[in-house]
Amino acid sequence: MSESVTIGKKSREDQTAGEHGKCMLNRRQFLMYSGATAATASTVSLTLFPGTAKAAQAKARVVGYPRKLVGKLSEMKDNVPAVINYPDDGKNSMATMVKTGVKCGGGVGAQRDLVAFSALCTHQGGPLLGRYRVVDEHRIMGSCPLHLSTYDVTRHGIIISGQAYESLPQVLLELDGDDIYAVGMMGLIYGRNQNLMSDTTES
Amino acid sequence: MATNYYLPEDSAPLPPKHADVLTTACDYCIVACGYKVYRWPVGSGDGGPMASENAFNQDFPASALQNWVAPAQHNVVIHNGRPHNVIVVPDKDTEAVNKNGDSSMRGGLLAAKCYNPKTPTRDRLTNPLVRINGTLQPVSWDFALDIAAEVGRYVIKNHGANAYSVKTFSYQYLENTYAIKKYARRNVNTASFTFHDTPSDVTSTPGFRDAGFDNFGPSYDDWGDADVLQIHGTDPYETKTIIYTQFIKPAIERGMKTIWLNPRETAGIAYANSKGPDQTIHFQLTLGTDTVLMGAIARVICENGWEDSDWVKNWVNSKWETSSGFGQGTRNTPWQWRTTWGMFQVKGGFKGYSKWVQSKDEYKVENAAKICDVPAADIIKAAEWLTNKGKGTKASFGIEKGYYWSNNTGNTNAVSSLATICGAGGRPGQVVGRFGGHQRGGAGGGSYPRNKSPEKRPGRRRRSLDTDRYLISGHTRFAHVIGTTWIQAMTGSQSLYSKFHELVLANPNQVNSYDKQEIIETLKRRADSGGMVVINQDIYLRDPIGARFADVIFPAATWGETDFTRSNGERRLRIYNQFYDAPGQAKPDWWIIAGMASRMGYEGFDWKNANEVAEESSRSSRGNRKAYHMVKVAAHREGKTFHEKMREFGTTGIQGPTVYNYKTGELTGTKRLHDTTITEEMCEKRGVYQGANMTNKKMTHFNSQTGKVNIQKHPWKLFSDFHEWLSPKGDELWFSNGRINEIWQSGFDDVERRPYVTQRWPENWVEIHPDDAKARGIESGDQVMLYSDRVVESKDTILGVHGDDFQFSTLMKNGHLKFTKAAVTAVAVIAPHLKKGMMYGNMLDMRQPNNSLQNRVVDQISGNYNYKMGVAKVKKIGESQYKKEFRSMSWAPRNVI
Repeated sequence: MSESVTIGKKSREDQTAGEHGKCMLNRRQFLMYSGATAATASTVSLTLFPGTAKAAQAKARVVGYPRKLVGKLSEMKDNVPAVINYPDDGKNSMATMVKTGVKCGGGVGAQRDLVAFSALCTHQGGPLLGRYRVVDEHRIMGSCPLHLSTYDVTRHGIIISGQAYESLPQVLLELDGDDIYAVGMMGLIYGRNQNLMSDTTES
Repeated sequence: MATNYYLPEDSAPLPPKHADVLTTACDYCIVACGYKVYRWPVGSGDGGPMASENAFNQDFPASALQNWVAPAQHNVVIHNGRPHNVIVVPDKDTEAVNKNGDSSMRGGLLAAKCYNPKTPTRDRLTNPLVRINGTLQPVSWDFALDIAAEVGRYVIKNHGANAYSVKTFSYQYLENTYAIKKYARRNVNTASFTFHDTPSDVTSTPGFRDAGFDNFGPSYDDWGDADVLQIHGTDPYETKTIIYTQFIKPAIERGMKTIWLNPRETAGIAYANSKGPDQTIHFQLTLGTDTVLMGAIARVICENGWEDSDWVKNWVNSKWETSSGFGQGTRNTPWQWRTTWGMFQVKGGFKGYSKWVQSKDEYKVENAAKICDVPAADIIKAAEWLTNKGKGTKASFGIEKGYYWSNNTGNTNAVSSLATICGAGGRPGQVVGRFGGHQRGGAGGGSYPRNKSPEKRPGRRRRSLDTDRYLISGHTRFAHVIGTTWIQAMTGSQSLYSKFHELVLANPNQVNSYDKQEIIETLKRRADSGGMVVINQDIYLRDPIGARFADVIFPAATWGETDFTRSNGERRLRIYNQFYDAPGQAKPDWWIIAGMASRMGYEGFDWKNANEVAEESSRSSRGNRKAYHMVKVAAHREGKTFHEKMREFGTTGIQGPTVYNYKTGELTGTKRLHDTTITEEMCEKRGVYQGANMTNKKMTHFNSQTGKVNIQKHPWKLFSDFHEWLSPKGDELWFSNGRINEIWQSGFDDVERRPYVTQRWPENWVEIHPDDAKARGIESGDQVMLYSDRVVESKDTILGVHGDDFQFSTLMKNGHLKFTKAAVTAVAVIAPHLKKGMMYGNMLDMRQPNNSLQNRVVDQISGNYNYKMGVAKVKKIGESQYKKEFRSMSWAPRNVI
């Protein structure tokens, strides 16, 4: 499955976005619908941002995501998480990057197993650093020490059990040789009103 | 249905300083967390991230537990005809229930339930509809109401009031339930009346009723104030989430012991289990054997003399105290006429119970361990913990549907007796109650006309009409269905569907005219010919009750669209403020009922607004658990309306029964019922005995003639023949069903319209133990068929004559039950957190109702279904689309801590 599948079926919003934003949206669709149903992405993209006002905002934000070097693939060992910051070094930017050893939605690398997620529970901001769990073939973030929410690392951070009203925001990764780049974010980081905030420099 | 994909967004607007702020409570589960609604006109400017720029007065990014807005907590609604932004978020300032602004996933997504045609809510019912030539077509209110009322009146006149069946929600706000009951019970006066979760109007907990316990006596604080908490048939983390996270979990952290009766280990139980066997006992017992386990624990206590001797001496009725009217007193006629009391009445108070429980072989520890499939040592350990080996401790007992909908009478009798000998029921931290399901929105508008029911137990007592059996028997000519699916919510759903089809669609009298009078005549002919007319009030078009069967549809207004009042599981009353316009022509159910009633010629339905209904209803609440009459009294003395007064209490609300002190002008709530630590002087000081205050003995005593507890026998033999018959044979597995955290108590409303939830649970699912799955070649993500040809169903309305006529084996022998087949498909989830030999499915997926596989035979004493126990075979029929994709569902276990 390559990105060209979705690029060929982009929505009107995609076409009006900037060059980087166009790439981002398609990558988002690609990640979201990777696996068995990737071919349905084109019909889905029309409902990406149901409100017109929102659609405009979304494009603006997507354009702004930085491309940030966050690690080396050769230094990642299976199931040993690393802490990264994205999209900035400000408050609430901590994220967990992990090579899971199993194929994951949005995973990069030969095994499609390298993923990264915000380290804050989207329920009430509980800390998830150090809460990565391997149970048989499952890869789980949590439980959150505050209210026990758990998230499925193999499935874009969807809630397994618990209280959160959105998936754990997934940091979109790219590989350039051995270099791992973070290039975008799916979902709103807990505590922020938008992922890219101008005044978040102090941590 | 509207397109319904979850696509994560990466921003959400903050409410600006000029936003209106209104309070409400969650529309879903019993806990009823407090929420705030922020509303501001679209285009008037959003809030900024600085505290000086937003209505939270808080800097963003927020820290843990502070105010935050998730993208799904924002919506755009129409208010006073203009588009407004709304944010619905947990109230961080609330002093009750969800302290610190905790929230569940359901409540967290409340904003998404607001009508907005850009979202999956776009198929809300917005117009009255009449089915013409097979199609539901928009008509005016007058057109729809005229037809429904004239046909209804005709049916009552020509076929009797019982031919007019009313099936309604019990919970959806007291303004609505008061109007519905006033209409159906006082005016139509039909015995064919019941609520969404039972075929007949009966108590959910017969054992509590007979013991004298109110279902909702405890306060939420009590669940965390115990030394030992025994939890039956539920994991409050999965259902009642905030009771768990705010009251039970902190208590476990402090060292509270917990004892669980649950064949699954979900997150709340897993967390308790993580504290080790010195703090937690988890009985993963065989379905339906709880009574035996309770009996065995009680027997160990009695054998060792570990009972709370002072408590049983002072608070347990002797035999003669329980003889009059079932322990309820001679004036209480229905009790007096019940002739089954001998099965439960104990001769000699506690001593008699002790003797009885020790005389039953099934309650010997080793026998019970075998029947229940639990370790004998844990039974003894539980008895030790609950009594501290006779040295005394604070034990509390909470039950829910897994328990009381599996051997309804036996289980609720057994827990009442066990709790009583452990000293629980009437003191802080020593309580007995239900955790709860729906919120408590019932108000009395008329009493049930029991004497018109044709059904009767052996002996003289009539029992409430079983509306399913009555319909199956062909007596129902007019079905008035309010806010429930009727069919899928009942057991044996597939044959119930077939009967609806036969009575409604297979009848030759179908509407094919646009002329109102011709439509009416056609529907009359249908009723006369043995068919049935269906009218349906709801917020969405439900399939099949609305989409296939209804002749007339009334669109209802709901939460947020008009002012409503309701209480939660600790009797906490709150107002649920209107904050946006109801869609299209949708109207609250009380208004629809009033429209029917006035056309039927009934008087007293000319309310102008919801407050008038609430004020009229308050009198009927006097003496009951959520008595709110005194709020009205206080309001009127202060020159306010009832709703205005309720508004002052915000998300904190006030706990019923409410008491008004005429001297001080103070209005107070009641923390717990049956509180034996409250003295007469304290009541006097509060104003309990003044003026219109009326609280009944339940405030300080129990609901019995003497005010003490009726300790009861809990005979296993009433249920054991059914249990033995039902137990899996051959390749069958036990098949239970229940709620799951992400969906719990939102299924009646909009669960399939919230993209995040439908991504997690897009269709019917079934958990299977790994060993059982492996033996059948099933993996997570496989599509499976659940099927049985051993679903038994009552086929007629019967009168009991001999003592054991309603015993399962006698019903079977006498040919009152028939075997039917049923099947549903589901996506398999391999679940190591489940007891081997059983499966567990979603409580109600309307498309694939698991209730189809549950037997349609009621508890012989109470008349309830035992929804939580059935059997089924399972086989793989293919792979679901979810097996290999990454978008939807998850196969990870629910017990990871």
